[in-house]
Amino acid sequence: MPDNILNFSLADFFFNDNPDVLGAPSDFEEWMAHPAVRKGFSFFEQVLLEAPRVSTRILSNLDGREHRIINLTSYNYLGLSTHPEVIAASKAALDKYGLGSSGAPLLSGTLDIHVEFARRLAEFKGKEDCLLYSSGLGANVGAIQGIMRKGDYLIMDEKCHKSLVDGGTLSGAKMLFFAHNDLDNLQMMLEKAKGKRILVVVEGVYSMDGDLPKLPEILDLCEAYNAGSYIDEAHSTLIFGENGRGVAEHFGVEDRIGVSFGTLSKSFGGVGGFVCATKSLIRYLKGYSSAWNFSCAPSPAVTGGLMKALEVATRDSSLRDTLWANVSYLKKGLEGLGLDLGGSESHVIPIIIGPSGEKLMGYAGAMQKRGLFLQPVDFPAVPAHARRFRISVSSQLSREEMDETLTIIEDVIVKGAD
Amino acid sequence: MTKDEIIEVIKVVIEDNLDDVSAGDIDPRKSMKDYGANSLDMIEVVSCSMRELNIKVPRAELAELQNIEALADKFLEYTDA
Ligand SMILES: Cc1ncc(COP(=O)(O)O)c(C=O)c1O
Repeated sequence: MPDNILNFSLADFFFNDNPDVLGAPSDFEEWMAHPAVRKGFSFFEQVLLEAPRVSTRILSNLDGREHRIINLTSYNYLGLSTHPEVIAASKAALDKYGLGSSGAPLLSGTLDIHVEFARRLAEFKGKEDCLLYSSGLGANVGAIQGIMRKGDYLIMDEKCHKSLVDGGTLSGAKMLFFAHNDLDNLQMMLEKAKGKRILVVVEGVYSMDGDLPKLPEILDLCEAYNAGSYIDEAHSTLIFGENGRGVAEHFGVEDRIGVSFGTLSKSFGGVGGFVCATKSLIRYLKGYSSAWNFSCAPSPAVTGGLMKALEVATRDSSLRDTLWANVSYLKKGLEGLGLDLGGSESHVIPIIIGPSGEKLMGYAGAMQKRGLFLQPVDFPAVPAHARRFRISVSSQLSREEMDETLTIIEDVIVKGAD
Repeated sequence: MTKDEIIEVIKVVIEDNLDDVSAGDIDPRKSMKDYGANSLDMIEVVSCSMRELNIKVPRAELAELQNIEALADKFLEYTDA
């Protein structure tokens, strides 16, 4: 293994030269066994010993011990995964329907609770119909693969999630990636694809940067080129917009969106994904979206909890108001420390450290030792020159926890304490 | 191996991986993007070229490269080693 071992990443072992098809690449094990690499990986798969609340306990990979920590890594933005009403509704559904749906939705897996929840989601998003999937990733892969065909053009923002890219690859459509939020670049690609069937894909909140798409302008371009639009509101649903319907509501463009995707694993606090669109597209997808029609319908116990989560999050604005108040408070504190927060416009706040993976891992360890669980985000998930931490703000955060967070970040990242 | 030979290898791989591009028409001062490559195509071209050249360059060192010539320069550092 060369001496620049820390420059290698998971991006370098994708292609596999091992003649044994069930073996890892010849140098992968060697790389993984290197102490510096092992140290980096020790931040992954740390085990939580309680629910993923802001205040939880972790079995630390760093010292093998249990610690109480402030958790700013989970996506439990509104604390709904442990909301008492959500838990009660989930238990009631579990009692009534049992654990699983025992079938694909097209055959025997569709329960009345799925139909009702999909109806409510469609109504919430202002669309005619909705398809529920057992995973968010599955919903993106399945919907894109179900819509796009060979010869079609899929034009997506370069920062789009892997599930969208994978759906594109599976579909066989030609894929073009426009520079992040760059309208001229998008237009150039639309020009190139002119006359073909085109789908433009963007996200509501970009998950590594916390910024928003230039949605009205992007939709202007879609309309000018007769392209369909698809928005992934994984991180923005229940959080953005007057009524929590997402970034499309925030920009006042809901009726111009073709397909609205959401996940049920983040602000909803459960697991699964959904896609809202016209009745006709949803009917078509039911025939061709493999992640839906060849996969078991979602667990009714989860669906019951999710239905209540939707109700709790939308009956008034209290949860998102608290979240936004926490976002302002934390952001102000972080800006006061002179940190580089990129272009975040949301509850997803990166702290950009720069090109040094060593620094990133050093800070991550020191913060965890002090009781702050902030997952480092390394290349290739983000560009090599902009390695970072990513704060997921939660409505559960108390003022004391935010002050403690700011103190730890100041001591470790600003003052360099270890 | 010389830089020109490396450029030739890359050109052939580009031809194999992209539609409507022939190796003879490729100008190394341009980026693969200019020949219609998306980021997935570029990963493929880089991987195939490295296999062909029997070298392994970390992706983190390739992200900022602007054109095919710069890629060849980077590969050259690793063939010499
Ligand atoms: C933008 C985006 N889309 C889709 C997904 C997939 O959702 P899930 O984790 O619920 O499968 C995620 C989350 O990882 C995401 O960040």
